[in-house]
Amino acid sequence: MQATVITITSGKGGVGKTTTAANLGCALALRGQKVVIIDGDIGLRNLDIVMGLENRIVYDAVDYVEGRCKLKQALIRDKRAPELYLLATAQTRDKTAMNPEKMSALCDELRPDFDFIIVDSPAGIEQGFETCLAPADRCLVVTNPEVSSVRDSDRVIGLIESKEKDRTTHLIINRLSAARVKKQDMLSVEDIQEVLSTAIIGVVPEDESILSSTNKGVPVALGGKGAAAVAYSEIARRLMGEDVPLQPLQSGGFLQRLFGRS
Amino acid sequence: MITIKGLRQGLLIILGEGAWHDTLRELEARLVNSANFFKGGLVALDVGAQSLAADDIERARMLLSSFEVRLGALITQDAGTAAAARSLGLGPTLPAPADPTPARRTAVAAVRATEGVEPAEAGLPATSVSEPLDGGTDGILARRRVRSGQVLRHPGHIVVIGDVNPGAQLIAGGDIIVWGKLQGSAHAGALGDTGAIVGALVMQPSTLRIADTQLIQTGKERRRDAGPRVARVNADGIEITIWQEK
Repeated sequence: MQATVITITSGKGGVGKTTTAANLGCALALRGQKVVIIDGDIGLRNLDIVMGLENRIVYDAVDYVEGRCKLKQALIRDKRAPELYLLATAQTRDKTAMNPEKMSALCDELRPDFDFIIVDSPAGIEQGFETCLAPADRCLVVTNPEVSSVRDSDRVIGLIESKEKDRTTHLIINRLSAARVKKQDMLSVEDIQEVLSTAIIGVVPEDESILSSTNKGVPVALGGKGAAAVAYSEIARRLMGEDVPLQPLQSGGFLQRLFGRS
Repeated sequence: MITIKGLRQGLLIILGEGAWHDTLRELEARLVNSANFFKGGLVALDVGAQSLAADDIERARMLLSSFEVRLGALITQDAGTAAAARSLGLGPTLPAPADPTPARRTAVAAVRATEGVEPAEAGLPATSVSEPLDGGTDGILARRRVRSGQVLRHPGHIVVIGDVNPGAQLIAGGDIIVWGKLQGSAHAGALGDTGAIVGALVMQPSTLRIADTQLIQTGKERRRDAGPRVARVNADGIEITIWQEK
């Protein structure tokens, strides 16, 4: 096995990086993949809360990197899927506890034992972002259908492209409401595509079940119902190399036009 | 006499001979006149054979930084000056920019598109040699999309084949031509040339300046018919007209 390292990033905060990381991790694991999700947001950990694994943390990634535990001890097994693990981050440290070299070394150590390593990057384009980007084979840029989020994604895509390492970068459009696009309250998929000119791997519709699932620590991808859960599961299949066409949104139909299918 | 050239990594300012005090005065005048051209830039100073102490170099650095210009390198033929520069952490070459053009592009485009592109972030490895472009300062061709936060700066002309996204910046001493959609900000003639032009297939700049004149936008521009446009300075300010040969 040689894992693919996927870094989930956005530039802007609050667009749904952590929710995306948790759900894609769950969706991939439910499809039989061996997955570890790494929380890259040192000092502000919340991936464990979204995953509902907060009270299982004994050691975290920083403990391992600094030699206080074995890697096995830091990997928290999520029993809701066959092979799903979380590598939490330290809450009492700052971003200097990790750097690009340490993160790359950590991922290289994990690679032989997993199919997918998902790295949840912090907001911003500073050191934490650089640290999480370093090991990435591919990047998923999460963007919301609003001007400021798209602008930040553009900046981040520019930074990813400027690195020597050649990476596949895809876009996830998160929290799209077909009704609001129709009323022209929201940027459409085409608007976003025009500015970012980056291939879209999935469109996650606005879904109220996300909020309650986040608070309960049960990612929607584990439940399997609802529009967002379906979207995450489809993105997971695309990440696994399946050819899954993008579905038109319920009250939209513009995706059909965009991709020329009837 | 001060000469400004474009480097891959930033700008090269070649200072003339003469008393250091006068040279700095002249440099200051250039910085004052073209503040927007230099602002945020990274420069290498070529001081020729002048013998300078660390204090002299530090004064130049302070002067530049007061215009938000970073001194990244000092080029000298004098061994004592080179030692003084090293004591301030200044080598003879600018740090290389992160390559914004991955290998998947064509070779010609890859070479050209890196010219004049500034590093988005500081602290990049110092490996590349800072040599002026062939043939001096005619211009650069960037064959790619210029994204938010990216700056193309050149004392000559800038040609972009691709879109210039909102939040991107083009700053040229000469003309700016965008074979694509211009939505970022553009400043042509940034070293004072009021005859410079800005041309774009789709002209929707967030801000547009030519020399010292700023385009006043009424908000109606964005609804104008699509099609190539050219911006020039006339007596009333900047005028944007349909692109056609005269």
